[in-house]
Parts: sequence; structure tokens; C-alpha cells
Amino acid sequence: MSIVAAAPTDYTAPGVEEFWQPLFGTDGPWAITRPILLMLVATGLVVWWLLATTKKKALVPSRGQMGTEAVYGLVRNGIAKDLIGSKEFMRFVPLLFALFTTILVNNFFGVIPPFSFPTFSRIGFPIALSLIVWIVFHVVGMRKHGFIGYWKSLVPAGLPKAMIPAIFFLELITDLFTRPVTLALRLFGNMFAGHILIVLFITGGWYMLNSGGVLVVAGGVTWIFAFVMTLFELLVEFLQAYVFTLLAALYIGGAVADEH
Amino acid sequence: MQAVTVTAEGGEGGFWATAAPIIPHPLEFFFGLACFAILYVIVKQKVVPRLEQIYAERTAAIEGGMNKAEEAQAQAQAALEQYQAQLVEARSEAARIREDAKAQGAQIIAEMREHAASEAARISETAHKQIEAERQQAVVSLRGDVGRISTDLASRIVGESLHEETRQKGIVERFLAELESGDVVREKVGGAAGSQGRDA
Amino acid sequence: MTGNIAILGYGLSAIGPGIGVGLIFAAYINGVARQPEARGMLQPIAFLGMAITEALAIFGIALAFVFKA
Repeated sequence: MSIVAAAPTDYTAPGVEEFWQPLFGTDGPWAITRPILLMLVATGLVVWWLLATTKKKALVPSRGQMGTEAVYGLVRNGIAKDLIGSKEFMRFVPLLFALFTTILVNNFFGVIPPFSFPTFSRIGFPIALSLIVWIVFHVVGMRKHGFIGYWKSLVPAGLPKAMIPAIFFLELITDLFTRPVTLALRLFGNMFAGHILIVLFITGGWYMLNSGGVLVVAGGVTWIFAFVMTLFELLVEFLQAYVFTLLAALYIGGAVADEH
Repeated sequence: MQAVTVTAEGGEGGFWATAAPIIPHPLEFFFGLACFAILYVIVKQKVVPRLEQIYAERTAAIEGGMNKAEEAQAQAQAALEQYQAQLVEARSEAARIREDAKAQGAQIIAEMREHAASEAARISETAHKQIEAERQQAVVSLRGDVGRISTDLASRIVGESLHEETRQKGIVERFLAELESGDVVREKVGGAAGSQGRDA
Repeated sequence: MTGNIAILGYGLSAIGPGIGVGLIFAAYINGVARQPEARGMLQPIAFLGMAITEALAIFGIALAFVFKA
């Protein structure tokens, strides 16, 4: 696929190959890829950070503990409590907090130099997380309303009889398919597109800087834009972690709510 | 730059290198699940309980501080009350002591007065007795003197000594006794014996 | 000029969500400007609306790759 078709012939725009980074000469479906390593590093980092900053349990927090507490407060009070309700939210706080921290750190890897790759631009990871969320919100819903009651609660009460099958069908598709798929695809799509955009700006700028002539100026401008896009990516990466956790909490909250 | 090395490593034309990006890589998928599971367990077992404990402790500390302040205030109030009670007690004690002293003083004065009165009574009684004794003495001596003098006088008038007779008959004593009792009976010296029966 | 028609499809699919997201944040900014204290309540709703609207564009980019071949 060549997006920039009019460019000089020896420039190849970044494509999907950019995201295939197997390590140690492995290949195929069980290849150890660089995103796997990044995920490992990110998980280790999150675990280490969370354990290290909460070890002292100081009443007057250090700077690290204050940061952890701020993030925890955002997830606990800003997301879980608001969307699940103050009665049952504590059960889901660990899940949401783990989701938020792991997505946030992995996303930030997209712009932090030694890593420079958003882990969640490989769709396997977002699918894994949305699968967990999908299972969790169905299971807690069925546990709360019973198996039949849960499916019944998909249809809002007070509908005309004739509309019930159609609405039920729509709700079923939303619940079983649209929600988990969009949850995974949203995260993947944002990370994928953002990364490809940055790579495009940087490699294109590099190519133009090396071409000489007027293109050098254009290359410089492109690199400035690459920097701006990196800042924008930072915002998007945070936002996507927030939105993913928000939607997970919303789905769980909808499943445990008395009125579906 | 990354792309160059990676493409070289990944090999050209491999399925995964050019596969649609929405096809999940199996190992990545399972690895993502495993990593998240580990993270979840640690967060659930360690991190969230710790953070909740910090929350609870902080709330407790703030409330505890308020309680402590209240306690201190209560203590100060209690101390103040105690001081005031002590002050009142001391005042009443002082009043009581003063009262006691006053009562004691009055008692002492009364005692002294009584003592003085009894002393005075005693002194005056002694004096009375002495005076009486002296008077008695004076009466006795006067009686003798008056009898002698009046006998002398009567002797002169009569011209002879009447001493023996008067002494014998006790005229003078009788007269004096009559004089004292108020009814004087005139009698003849040396004759009448009318009043002799009364003397006996 | 070489290229893939799917990318045009993605461009078209991004128009609707683009307008939608713009409308959502316009309404959000309006709401916050009128009632700054409602910010905390509006923020999750705004992001939720954005996420749901954005889903169409996400489908677009996914399908662009699916039908690329």
C-alpha cells in the first residue's frame, strides 16, 4: 500500500509491515515479537511502581505515592464510583485500576524514546483486555439478575409487544458484538493510526531533509510537526486509556444496575 | 529507520509481516492475557488494599486530630472547673476558719468574763466576810466599852460604883440587847426584878 | 496514481464521526460555560458520547484494512 503515491519512487510510506517486529529470529504465530517484550516491561514497570509507591503507606505522601493516589482517585472516584454506583463499585476497582494503569503505560510507550512503540497498536492486546471486560460484565450481570433475567433485562420495560423482538435483537448485537469489538478496535485504531502518523512524519521528514533543495525546509517543518503530533499523541494516549476504563465501568455498571 | 531493520529481520513476504493489522497475533493475545492477569492479581491483593488503607487511615487521622483537639479542650475545661471548685472550697474554708476564730474568741471572752465575775464575787464575798468579822469585833468591843462608859457615867451620877452590881446583874448587856431588838424597858437599877425572869 | 480505494472509504467514514465529535464537544463546552460546576458531571458523558460516535470511524479504519486486499 502506498499512500503517498506522488512521492519520489525510492520513498516507501510506512505500512502494516512497520508493526511486525519479531525478535530473536523467530517467526510465525508463536514468534516472540517486540510488543510482547514491551508488554512485559510495561507490566513489570507498573507492578514495581505501584508496589514501591504504596509500600510505606505514608499519611503524608511522597511525590510518587501522591501520583499513584491521584491516578487511583481518578479511577476509583471519577470512573468507578460515578458509573457503577457507590454500592457495588469497590468490587470492580482493582480491575479498572489495573486496566487503566496498564493501558496508560503501554500507550505512553508509543512516544517514550527507547520504546517508541504503542503496544496496543497490536490488536492482540486490546482484544485480550476487551475479552476480559466482556466476560466480566456478562458474568456479573447474570449473577445479579440470573441467566434468564439478564437477557430479559436487555429490553427496557414498557415497550409495545410488537417491538420487543426487534429491540431485543438490537440489544443482543450491541451487547454481544458491538461493545467488545468497538472497545478493542477503538484502542487499537487510535494507537495504530497515531503511530503510523508519527512514523510517516519522521521518515518522510528524514527523506526530505536528505533530498536537498527546497525539500530541506519542508523536511524541517515536517519534523516540527512530528514533534507537535507527538504531543497530540500523548493526549490521545491518555484519553484512550481513560475512555477504555470509562466504557468498561459503564458496561459493568449497566450489567449490575437494577434497571438495564 | 526502525522499519528498515525490522523488515530485514522479519523477512519479506511472510504472512504476519503483511497480514491485515486486525488479525490478532496468537502469542501476543495470550501474552496480553497473562500479563494482565498477573497485574490484576497483584493490584487486587496488594495495591488496592494498601491504597484503601491509606485512605481510611488518612480519614481516621483527620478525624482523630479533631477528636484530640476536642479532648484537649475538654481537659482544659475540666481543669478550669477544678480550679474554680478549689477556689470556692478555699474561700469557704477561709470563711469557716474565720467563723471558728470568731466563735472561739467569743467563747474565750465569755469565759474570761465569767471568770472575772466569779473572781469579783469571791473577792467581794471575802471582803463582806472580813467587814462582818470586823464589825462583829467592833460591836463586841463597843458593847464592852459602852457598858463600862455608861456605868461610869451612871456611877458618877449616882455617886457610887455600880460596876459590881451591873456586872452581876448584866444590866448593860440586857439593855443593849433590848436596844438592838427595839423595845427598851426602863428598869430600876438594884431594885426591880420584873425583867429578871425575861433574862433567864 | 496508485493506491487503494479502501482509504477513500475510510476518509468518507471519518466525516460523520468528525462532525459528531465536534457537536458533542461544542455542547460540552456550552454546558460548562453556562454551568461551570456541572463540569464533573458532564465530562464522562462527553467522553462517552465521543467514544460511541468515534466507533464509526474506527469501523472505517478496520474495514479499510479488511477490504484492502
